[in-house]
Formats: sequence, structure tokens, C-alpha cells
Amino acid sequence: MAVDTMTASPALVDESVPVRYAKAGAVFAALGLFVLVIAFAVVGGDDKTLIRFDKTLTDVEWAMPTTVVMAVLGALTAAAGAWMLAGIPKRRFKLVSAIAVTAFVFSLLFWAYSQPGTVFRAESILAGALFLSLPYLFGALSGVVCERSGVINIGIEGQFLMGAFTGVLVANITGNVYAGMVGAMVAGLLSTMLLALLATKYQVNQVVVGVILNLLALGFTSFMYDQLKKAEGLNSAFAVPTLSWGPLADIPVIGPVLFQQKIFVYIGLVLVFVVWFLLYRTRWGLRTRAVGEHPAAADSMGVNVNRLRYWNVTVAGLISGFGGAWFTIANSLAFSKNMTAGLGFVALAVMIVGRWNPLGVLAGALIFGFTTQVARDLDASGGSVVPGEFLQMLPYAVTLVVVAGLIGKAKAPAADGVPYNPGDK
Amino acid sequence: MSTDTTTPTADQPEAGETPESKPNFMRLFGRYLTEANSVMVTIYSLLLAFLIGAILLIVSDEYTRSTFSYFFSRPQDAWYASRDLIVESYTALFEGAILNLNTLDRYAAGTAEFGDLLRPLSETLTYATPLIFTGLAVGLAFRAGLFNIGAQGQMIFGMMGALIIGFALDLPAVIHLPLAVIAGALAGAAFGAVPGVLKATTGAHEVISSIMLNNIAALFLVWSISTEFLHSETKTDLITKPVDESAVMPKLLSGLSESLRVNWALLIGVAAAVFTWWLLSRSTFGFRIRAVGFNEHASATAGMRIGSTYTTTMAVAGGLAGLAGAALSLGVGAAGITTNTALEYGFDGITVALLGRAKPGGIVAAALLFGALKAGALSAQPDVPVDISTLLQAIIVLFIAAPALVKAILHLRTPRGGLVTLEAKGW
Repeated sequence: MAVDTMTASPALVDESVPVRYAKAGAVFAALGLFVLVIAFAVVGGDDKTLIRFDKTLTDVEWAMPTTVVMAVLGALTAAAGAWMLAGIPKRRFKLVSAIAVTAFVFSLLFWAYSQPGTVFRAESILAGALFLSLPYLFGALSGVVCERSGVINIGIEGQFLMGAFTGVLVANITGNVYAGMVGAMVAGLLSTMLLALLATKYQVNQVVVGVILNLLALGFTSFMYDQLKKAEGLNSAFAVPTLSWGPLADIPVIGPVLFQQKIFVYIGLVLVFVVWFLLYRTRWGLRTRAVGEHPAAADSMGVNVNRLRYWNVTVAGLISGFGGAWFTIANSLAFSKNMTAGLGFVALAVMIVGRWNPLGVLAGALIFGFTTQVARDLDASGGSVVPGEFLQMLPYAVTLVVVAGLIGKAKAPAADGVPYNPGDK
Repeated sequence: MSTDTTTPTADQPEAGETPESKPNFMRLFGRYLTEANSVMVTIYSLLLAFLIGAILLIVSDEYTRSTFSYFFSRPQDAWYASRDLIVESYTALFEGAILNLNTLDRYAAGTAEFGDLLRPLSETLTYATPLIFTGLAVGLAFRAGLFNIGAQGQMIFGMMGALIIGFALDLPAVIHLPLAVIAGALAGAAFGAVPGVLKATTGAHEVISSIMLNNIAALFLVWSISTEFLHSETKTDLITKPVDESAVMPKLLSGLSESLRVNWALLIGVAAAVFTWWLLSRSTFGFRIRAVGFNEHASATAGMRIGSTYTTTMAVAGGLAGLAGAALSLGVGAAGITTNTALEYGFDGITVALLGRAKPGGIVAAALLFGALKAGALSAQPDVPVDISTLLQAIIVLFIAAPALVKAILHLRTPRGGLVTLEAKGW
């Protein structure tokens, strides 16, 4: 837009001149001091945080003195805050914020795992974090494909439900779990096809329809669930095997995390790079991004905007439908009502955190997966200072904080959510 | 597209008595029926939804499905089975929601009270009451261009606010009940203001922040019920203390029969609808809401503060949803609230607001319809799956939100003012 060219003149900004970041600095300084207070006042001097490599090196156990580690990390956070208050080169700001946030989070982790009876089982937790990041990953990737084409997909939650339900149903009917996965993808595809049709041909408001499609999926799957309950053997749990890569699986930390997982993990990781490659290195990707940023320009270059959007959104349903299969098949669970529990919306937040970029989405999904895994682990260990319900709130709370833009404003594709009518131009 | 488009439809009353040449009443009426105006779109949405619901009932019913496997040898079996299933299911919904024909027979024979006859209607009104509030909460925000899907969480906080005042204070009923209701509204308003503040200060989209707050509120409810402060002293399961007698909503029809649950909250709901109507169409604040919803940039240029409008609108909307919570914890949940008391009234509020087209009068009507669906579905268990109400609601509002779809399916004409839909802003 014309307005932007007047304000942005990047060549004139010297990135090495120190700038004061009052707000961020104050926040980090306060967080660091908070950690220091906890370290010396609340945590007992003899408390230890136990770290164990539970899958490969079962006899190794690190006992770290909690107070010392927390004090170091707290001091690091506070120092970062102080540096920002005093003035910091602009190009260093992101790195220093990342370090401060990481130090703060780790200090909390050390505190949480200092309770008697809790052990940080590094390998289980990291492997679990990767596994738990998958629904966010699939949902957010589906969102990326849709929103890069200019269609807001709030219906990810509904596509998850449809995929989760259909996956189990098809697996039960055919007796083949892989057929179930394909069934889940087709269910996701049919759900997004409806969204695509409404968004392109009928030009409806995508946010409103997305929310309605979620309700529809919830009503439909719950209704069918009740009906199928009457018949035997249509909603039994199916499992996929955990793949083990032989000697690779025995490498400490890396082995259990990367080489001893279910097929969903590998599909997810490959998909990130496939979507990235397609979006940024192919003709289809260029056209898709053009349609999402400036459909009129793409149209004048001969791209059929609404047809491209229609097919992109439809195909994105394959990804979110497969993400739905994660809830049932990957977790070896039968379908239950509303089992996705709002994770489809968390996936949207992951997409925003990842700045509508598959690689960013991977990073965001891993953070959310890690949070969820730690919360579950602490909840299960029973040694937590905070009630379990509050731990379960963590992913949602993190989403709130993230969406509220504490890490900077994310910019959506310019034509995201705006129906394109060629006749308007 | 000219004059000869009065294609007869099933709904059209018998034409033919009147001459076809002039635009007389019947002709205009026929035109009206075949036009995608908001009244007809609503009616056709309802009809289409019940049609799709019928198809889903047939497909998902095991016995009926089995009759289709030999459709070509005995088609009448499939036909009778389907017909019976649909008639039975929809009759069961009707009997649970409006009038039970069995009770009518017994009343005619003198073995049932008049109060028993009113039972289904009372249930419908009982379920409609929270829906009026949550529908208003979503609808009011819609007028400011905000999509408040957080009514569920706001309602949960309203429920707890009213509950705490309801059992913790010892006051005469004249003060206690209003105070508890106000506490519910305030708690809902405080929780509802959060997405508004976040949107105003950081630009966080209200759909995501309010769905997160819904999840947080639901977990918070589970935790708080188990705390010593709220948990029942006499029961061991997850239920709170009961509300004091002085804070319980009086029943409206207790003179007829004690089993009629509909209470004063219904009247508060109607009053809230009137208040919302006044707020939106007669007050300065309402003007600001509608202006911001219509065009925020123009409103900002005209000197209105967009951020504070978002915050206050969400606070008022949250207050309305909080009233739904107060109605629950002082009404049907007065004996103690569980995690199940709130059902899904907050999410249903979205469908109510959409069907009511974000207008207070329409919202009350939509709440009555969906309350009837809910009452019918709950009483028709286990013959009819309870989620038929959610399913029908979602299909109805899908068509309401996409009038172009209804228009295309039924080949309707575009009305003069264009198709009417509700809008919510993107990121």
C-alpha cells in the first residue's frame, strides 16, 4: 500500500545503535528478580533437580542443585532485562529476548522438577513433546496452505474431529489402520471442500462459517458416535506400530526422540519441508502467495484466483484430516465426543506464531508440544505444587500470551479472509 | 429476470382463484416466497435442516439402514421403516418440547393435571432462558464487528460469581437474589472484557483469545468445585454447596405444579433483550457499537475510540453471558452446580445469535426454537440421539450464514437489497 512506503525506510536505520526497550526490559528484569527470589526464599538449599536419561542410559542420573541453577538462570534473565533498559543494539534484541525467555522457562522447569518424587526423564519428555506437537503441526500447516491462499480456516477443529472420527470408523470397517488414515484425510478434504465452496463460490464470511463448520462437525460426530455405539465394533481403538531404526534408536537423547517414533512423526516432519518447498520454490507456491497477498494482481497475470483458492483449501483438508487421525489412531484411542478439546484453535495460534511459514510453524508446534508434555508429566507425577487443572491450562494460557503479541506483531497475508470477486475490479 | 418467475413451490397456497395478469396479492406473495429475503431464507433453512436431519437419522439407524440392503426386492420396507423412524423421532422431539400427546389423552380422561400438560413447554422455556442471555451476548458483540465465541467461559464465571454470593452471604431475599444476579453479571463482564482489552491493546483476534479463555474457564470450574470453599459439605461427588433459599430464583408456575421448572430468570431474559434493544437502537453507546461494527476506520475518523468500544462492548456482552450463568446457578443448579450445569449454552448462543440475526427480538425467538430443540432432544433420549439438537442447530445456521447457498439450492431470486449475512473481521 502507498502508506507503507512513507513510513518504512530501512536503509536509514542503523541497526547497531543502542535502543532502549523500556517495556520488554522491565518485564524481563522483573521476571529475573522473581526467579532469584524464588531460588533463595522458596526453594530449600538442599533441593536437587534430578535428570535421568530413562531410555538409553538408564543408570545415569544428574542431580543438579536447584537453588544454584535457578539463581544463575534468574540472573541471566535479569541481566538481559537490564541490558534492554540501558540500551541494546537493535539487531541483538531478538537473540537476547530469546535467551531471556529460554532462561526463564528453564528456571521454572528446574523449580517444578525439584519437588520430591519428580524426575525430569529427559528422553521420554522430549520424545513425548515431539509427538504431542503433531496436532498443532498438522493443523497449523493446513492453516498455512489455506491462509497463504487468502482463506481463513477457523474450521481446523472441525476437520480434526471429522478426521478423528472417520479414521477410526474406516479402520474398523476395513480392518486396516492405514485405510483409516486415508479415510481421515478424505473426511478432512470433504470438510474443507465445503469451506472452500462457501468461501470462493458463495463468498461468505469465512470466520463465521468456519466457526459454524466446527459446530457442525461437533454435532455430526457426536450424533454419529451415539448412533454407532449401538452397533458393535465400529469404534474400537486401532494402533500403529512404533518404528525403531535399529542402532540409531540407541543414541542417547536423539535416538528415542527421532528414531523411535510412530509414522505420524515422520510424516509430519517431512510435510513441513514439503509444504515449505512447494510454497517458496515452485510456481504453484508463487501463485498461491500472490493470490493471498494481492489477488487482483494475480488475476491480471492470468491466475484463476477462486479456482486456485478452492483447490488449495480443499487439499489442505488432507493435512488437517490426517491431523485428526492423530487423536485416535496415533494415540491408540477410540473416538469420543469433542476429543479434540480446542486444539484446532491452538493450532491456529501456532500458525500465527510461525508467521504463516512452515518452518516457523514447526518451531511453534514444538514449543507447544513441549509445554503440553511437561504439564502432563508433572500432573501425572503428582509432585506438582500447582493443581493439575492449572497445568492443563498451560497450552491455552501460552496461546493467549502468544496471540496477544508479546513476541511482536505478526502480519497475516494481505488478502487473508477477503473474498475475491473478479467483477469488483 | 422479470415478471414470469413465480414458479409454484410446495409452500405456495393454492393459486388460481385470482387472475394472473396484475401484481395482486397472491402474485406478490408468490414472488416473496421465491425470493432469498431474510424471512424466507430463515424458513427454508429450517426446512432444509430438518430434511438433512431426517436423512442422517435414516443413514445412521441400523435397522432402517438394513432395510435398504434389499431395497430393490422390497422397496416398501425401506420406505415404511424410514417414514416411521422420521415420524417417531420428530414426534418425540415435539412431545418433549411442546405438547405430550399421551399427557393430553390422560388430561382428557381426567387422570392428569393441567400442570402436567404444561411440562414440555416449561422445559422448553427453562432451556431457552440461558440461551436468550448467551444469544444476546454473542449478538451484541456481532453488532460491533466482534465475534464473541467466549460466551461459554463468561457464563461459567457468571455462574460462580452468583453462586458465591448465593451461599456465602446471609441476607433477606429482597436483597440477596438481586445481589447474586448482579454478582454473576459482573463476574461475566470482567471475564468478557479480557478479549476486548487484548484486542484493543494488542490486536489479538477475539475468536482465538476467547476460545482459549473458554478452555481455561472450564478447567478453572473443575478445579474450583473441588476446593474446600466451594465443594459441597454433604456430598462426595464433584458438586458445589447449594445456594441459600433467599437467593433461589422463584419458580414462575409453582402454583400449577411444583415440577414446572421455568423460573423468574426467563423474565430477566426478556428484560435483558429489551435492554439490549434499547442499548443498540436508542443509546449513544449503541450508536457507537454499530458505527464501529459498520466501519471502524470511519468511526475512528469521526473521533470514536475504537479500542474502548471493543472493551466495553465485550464487557457488556460478558455481563449478559454472566447473567446466563446466574440464571443457572440460582435456578436449575440451585442445589449445587456441577461441571455439567453449564451444558453448552455458550456455544449454542452463537447459533442463537446467528439465527436471530443479532437482533434482540430475533434472538429471543431463536432461543425459544433452540430451547425447544434441546428440551425435545433431552426428553426423547435414548430413542433419538441427544446431539440431534446440536446438529440441527449447526445446519440451520450454516444456511443462515450462507444465504447464497440456500439461494443456489432452491433456485431463489436475489432480493432487491441483496443477501443479508453477518460479518466478523479477519485477523
